[in-house]
Amino acid sequence: MTITEDRPAYKWVGTRPIRHDGYDKVVGKARFAADRNFPGQLHGAFLRSPHGHARILAIDTAAAEVMPGVKAVVTGADFPDLPVGNPERDTGINLMARDAALYVGHVVAAVAASTRAEAEAAAAAIEVRYELLPVVLSIDESMADGAPLANPDNRTAFSGSDDPSNLATVTPLERGDVDAAFEAADVVVEREFDTAWVHQGYIEPHACVVDVGPDGRADVWASSQGHFRVRSQTAAVLDWDTARIKVTPAEIGGGFGGKTTIYLEPVAALLSEKSGRPVKIVMTRDEVLRATGPAPASKSRIRIAATNDGELTAIDGWIGYAVGCTNDMAGFVGAMSVASYKFPNLKMEFVGALTNTPRSAAYRAPSAPQAAFAIESVIDEIAQALDMDPIELRLKNAVVEGDLTSMGGPHPRVGFVECLEAIRDSEHYRSSVPEGAARGIGTGFWFNIGEQSSATVNLNEDGTATVITGSPDIGGSRASMALMAAEELGIDVHRITPVVADTESVGFTDVTEGSRATFATGMAVVNACRELVEELKARAATILGVGADAVEWVDGAAVAADKDPLPLAGITAKAKGTGGPLTVTASLNAGGAGPSFAVHCCDVVVDDETGRVEVLRYTTAQDAGTAIHPSYVEGQMQGGTAQGIGWALNEEYVYDDDGTMLNASFLDYRVPVASDLPMIETIIVEVPNPAHPYGVRGVGETGIVPPMATIANAVSRATGVRLSSLPMSPPKVLAALDER
Amino acid sequence: MPRAHLMTPLRRFADGESVIEVEGATVGEMIVELDRLFPGLGEMLTMGSSAAVDGLIHAEPEFLAVEPDADVYFVAPLTGG
Repeated sequence: MTITEDRPAYKWVGTRPIRHDGYDKVVGKARFAADRNFPGQLHGAFLRSPHGHARILAIDTAAAEVMPGVKAVVTGADFPDLPVGNPERDTGINLMARDAALYVGHVVAAVAASTRAEAEAAAAAIEVRYELLPVVLSIDESMADGAPLANPDNRTAFSGSDDPSNLATVTPLERGDVDAAFEAADVVVEREFDTAWVHQGYIEPHACVVDVGPDGRADVWASSQGHFRVRSQTAAVLDWDTARIKVTPAEIGGGFGGKTTIYLEPVAALLSEKSGRPVKIVMTRDEVLRATGPAPASKSRIRIAATNDGELTAIDGWIGYAVGCTNDMAGFVGAMSVASYKFPNLKMEFVGALTNTPRSAAYRAPSAPQAAFAIESVIDEIAQALDMDPIELRLKNAVVEGDLTSMGGPHPRVGFVECLEAIRDSEHYRSSVPEGAARGIGTGFWFNIGEQSSATVNLNEDGTATVITGSPDIGGSRASMALMAAEELGIDVHRITPVVADTESVGFTDVTEGSRATFATGMAVVNACRELVEELKARAATILGVGADAVEWVDGAAVAADKDPLPLAGITAKAKGTGGPLTVTASLNAGGAGPSFAVHCCDVVVDDETGRVEVLRYTTAQDAGTAIHPSYVEGQMQGGTAQGIGWALNEEYVYDDDGTMLNASFLDYRVPVASDLPMIETIIVEVPNPAHPYGVRGVGETGIVPPMATIANAVSRATGVRLSSLPMSPPKVLAALDER
Repeated sequence: MPRAHLMTPLRRFADGESVIEVEGATVGEMIVELDRLFPGLGEMLTMGSSAAVDGLIHAEPEFLAVEPDADVYFVAPLTGG
């Protein structure tokens, strides 16, 4: 279902053609990074730290180097020591420990051998002498007076201080007079919350093959959300020239933010350089869970003031994020997420605190779900205290164009109110709550980003087209690029082949993150097509023997008075004689990514005996601006929701006291499967983003923001007790019921 | 003159000011002027590589033109998933 503001009538945008990459994926032809194999290829394996925090005193690789099949061994000593302050210093240290192991699973050495088994056996034979150091495993431990340093390299960003610290960022936000607002409030609700570390849960583990030739040039095949970032980070970590490295993107089996950084490629490059052979490294699931970025755990205190008629007058609180072993912007980015309600008085502080756990990574809308869980839970309690409908309370306070964002500027045109109204008017919300169940409402915001993209559009001699971009397709962007090109050029979408090209075949393109690909790369495609249409009109004028100004482009053909329409294929057939190949490249740094809002509604039942929460029905409304391919938009909404349900109900890292993860498999780290979920109903709301030619807003991230609060609000209404700790797993629910 | 708006964490580098009117035809020129008024602030604004100008967020906006009555909100690096 789609709710749309007035907009132009499009022929292709907004349709649902079969995806261009669908056939290959259905029949198993799609090639992921682990599918690549080369003659003479070696296999890499790691030795990882068994300690949560330990100084590395010595590494002895002698025994490993002479074991059967072993061709190369690398340790931290093989990597350049980038200076403190270099933006990729932490990336390099995270993928290969130097002076100290900073978490259990931190790579200490790597081996390349003829078989994986030989590489693993040799890695196990490497001897490391450690001096154990204190382990910091929680926000409280990290911020305690006199706490040991989780990573002595760390300095607090934007502080101006050069002192080592466990604090990554400290971000205060303040406006109005919070104290006066609370004094004058009719209702005040205050609560504390915590959430666990959770993983993005992509099915495809990290993988790459790297072949460094005798000339020192590296060919890299990798699974990532941005092969240009793989190139730049690999170059930075190794202190190599960027031009030495070519990265070819593989199909990606899920990323969700977790593949916006690298873990393998520089190690494989050094192993390949040493051995003179291609080196392939594929992580196991255990390695993915132990050593790639989870979303930060969090702890928060939120207090909100309201009047009896439902005006939210003030918010005051603190949110801390456990960001892992190196500096991270999670705390700062979290501060950007408090942007859904007007709150004339606001005093918040957001902190990122280092822990001896894996370096955290983005997970869809990074840091926003933790904040929304706390804030939306408190808002729900205020609605209960005021006996107000939870949607009406939110509608009364929802931001509209001109209201302030977290960073202080005004919101542009946004669709929060429209999303709230869409849920309010939905069949789900208007239906009776099933017997024994309860209903919850939650909302989410994410700002989205633009950044740099490039696109080349080639017209072929028969009138077909190739659209080449540098954005790995993690959510349907190839189909969206083809649809926008079809709309611009006026040709059938299946006469267009969308391609994601390697780093030497298309202009620089930033990583696919921040819901930016369809927005920014799509804008580059539109710009290239529009320039191409001008060239087509000029060529048509030559062919038709009319002035250039006399030609219009209408539905895929050049039209001039008193002439038969000249279709695109008629122009491309004569390209050689009218000036040569028809090709245009466009590049840009896109500003004006449109903020996106979502509103969720769910019905749950809680089993009093087992504590199990069953989600009976779930509906999500989200502002997509304009849905270029609605099926993909719905898929993003459903995917984010499904992951959020896992975050809410089951998923968590379980550590022992030394920082060893105890549930590093999908058997014990419980992501929801199809049988755990109802059909997630979607309502696409379309409030076009004025900064994009088709009104696109990013849709990939916002969907994961509301589910935790939505479900918590339903569970709390079902049980009569407020659930404030994630996941709401059966033992926690039972404990809460016991305290009732 | 365009107005530079500083998020709360940046105000400590500007004697607590939140809104500062400074000359500048581009965001970069504004940063130079802000750094002249508050030494060290420029480095913080450069580390924060995004700015919202008249409601639209731009990455690395140093050369972005600003109108004389523009409102420029400096934002630290933004990221996504």
